[in-house]
Amino acid sequence: MTADHRHHDSPDGASPESGDAPTLRERLRRLGRALALGAALAGLAVPALVLTGESVAFASEKIFAVGALVFGFSILGWSGSVFAGEGIENFQRHLGGRSDWSEADSRQAMALLGSVGLGGMVGAMVATWVVGSLA
Amino acid sequence: MISKRFVIKRLLLLVPVLFGVATFVFAILHMAPGDPARVIAGQRASEQFVQQVRAELGLNDPIWVQYGRFLLEAAQFDFGNSYQIQKGTPVKQVLRYKLPVTLEMALFGQFLGILFGIPIGLLGAVKQDAVSDHVTRIGALTGISVPIYWSGPLLILLFAQVLNWFPASGRIASEFSITPITGIITFDTLVRGNFAAFQSAAMHLFLPSVVIGIYSMALISRMMRSSMLEVIRQDYMRTARAKGQGSKITVMKHGFQNALIPVVTVIGIQFGTLLGGAVLTETVFGIPGIGTLLVSAIQVGDYPVVQGTVLTFAFLFTMVNLLVDVTYSYLDPRIDQ
Repeated sequence: MTADHRHHDSPDGASPESGDAPTLRERLRRLGRALALGAALAGLAVPALVLTGESVAFASEKIFAVGALVFGFSILGWSGSVFAGEGIENFQRHLGGRSDWSEADSRQAMALLGSVGLGGMVGAMVATWVVGSLA
Repeated sequence: MISKRFVIKRLLLLVPVLFGVATFVFAILHMAPGDPARVIAGQRASEQFVQQVRAELGLNDPIWVQYGRFLLEAAQFDFGNSYQIQKGTPVKQVLRYKLPVTLEMALFGQFLGILFGIPIGLLGAVKQDAVSDHVTRIGALTGISVPIYWSGPLLILLFAQVLNWFPASGRIASEFSITPITGIITFDTLVRGNFAAFQSAAMHLFLPSVVIGIYSMALISRMMRSSMLEVIRQDYMRTARAKGQGSKITVMKHGFQNALIPVVTVIGIQFGTLLGGAVLTETVFGIPGIGTLLVSAIQVGDYPVVQGTVLTFAFLFTMVNLLVDVTYSYLDPRIDQ
């Protein structure tokens, strides 16, 4: 059973998601955009650091590490959502709270964040190669 | 009956958790200032020697190559050798000797927390708003609020310095020499039949276990109380009493198991907190577990030991949570559906 079905099957009949669930193509497009954003940011950050007088190796290491940090955080967030998300939703329902938080939304947000981080890691690799070959 | 599918699904979820922790730790250590090669070579070493160390450790490789290598090695639980703490010793081996020390303390702390927390919570629920309920509530709130770095020295001051009932630090009196079997010293002394040594180890373990057990006990008792109060008000409990069943039997037979489900969650999460609390407790009581190991490794920049210790903590925490999930599905079979 998917997360979307669970929401529609909820006992109170209320779906915590605001609109229709995005299609697979739409999700992939969003992930791709986030990946490109991360890659672009890292691609700019590496030469920027080099221009401030740091070595290419230093810039590469730090920017890659920032990307890995975001990537690692999002993986933990994603796993946490899968592990405990349903429990948190049930708990919210049990308490009668009406927060918009849902397991599916949390997973999607973490996937987007992870794509930015992964893009940052890839961007740092490419930027290092480009800056290194120019230097 | 616990379904295999449920357990396998939970086990598979451990993979991204550990992958995430490994990536996170790798990133933080590479963002931190300081050069591991310089740490190993020493502050007075020549630049040439530092470069040699860098090359030997593979620190000259691009960071993504180091990341890939780290992930591959971490998957085999191989973190290389310690740079500083025990120079040249594999981290796996360092952890093998330190881990049982922390586990012993955390398990005893948890045991004390459960032993006293559940009955206190039950008592609070059954005798709601009685004097005993108020006393236990104040005790629990105090237990939750008092930090380990404050309660630890206070207990040492009272029980070790003033009353002289328990030793202030260490694991066993110096006159005993026990060859480790498991590394859990109370168990090893019992297995070897050395009861005097067991007594000494238990006395040494008591204060640290109480310090980390107090917090656990406080939280468990509060959770048990509120969970039991909710169960007591259920229709099936009223029905059982209306059919003439005694109040104690109703509470213990019908209420206890249902009230235990949220308490099990707290116990699982608490175990992680206890491991975290071990860092402080071990420092206060001078116990050589992985808590003190982690602190020392961070101070001297021993990256492999930091990585190994943090991943071990993460692994233990996730395994305990898996155990909690399995216990859940045993207590309430609807959960794994």
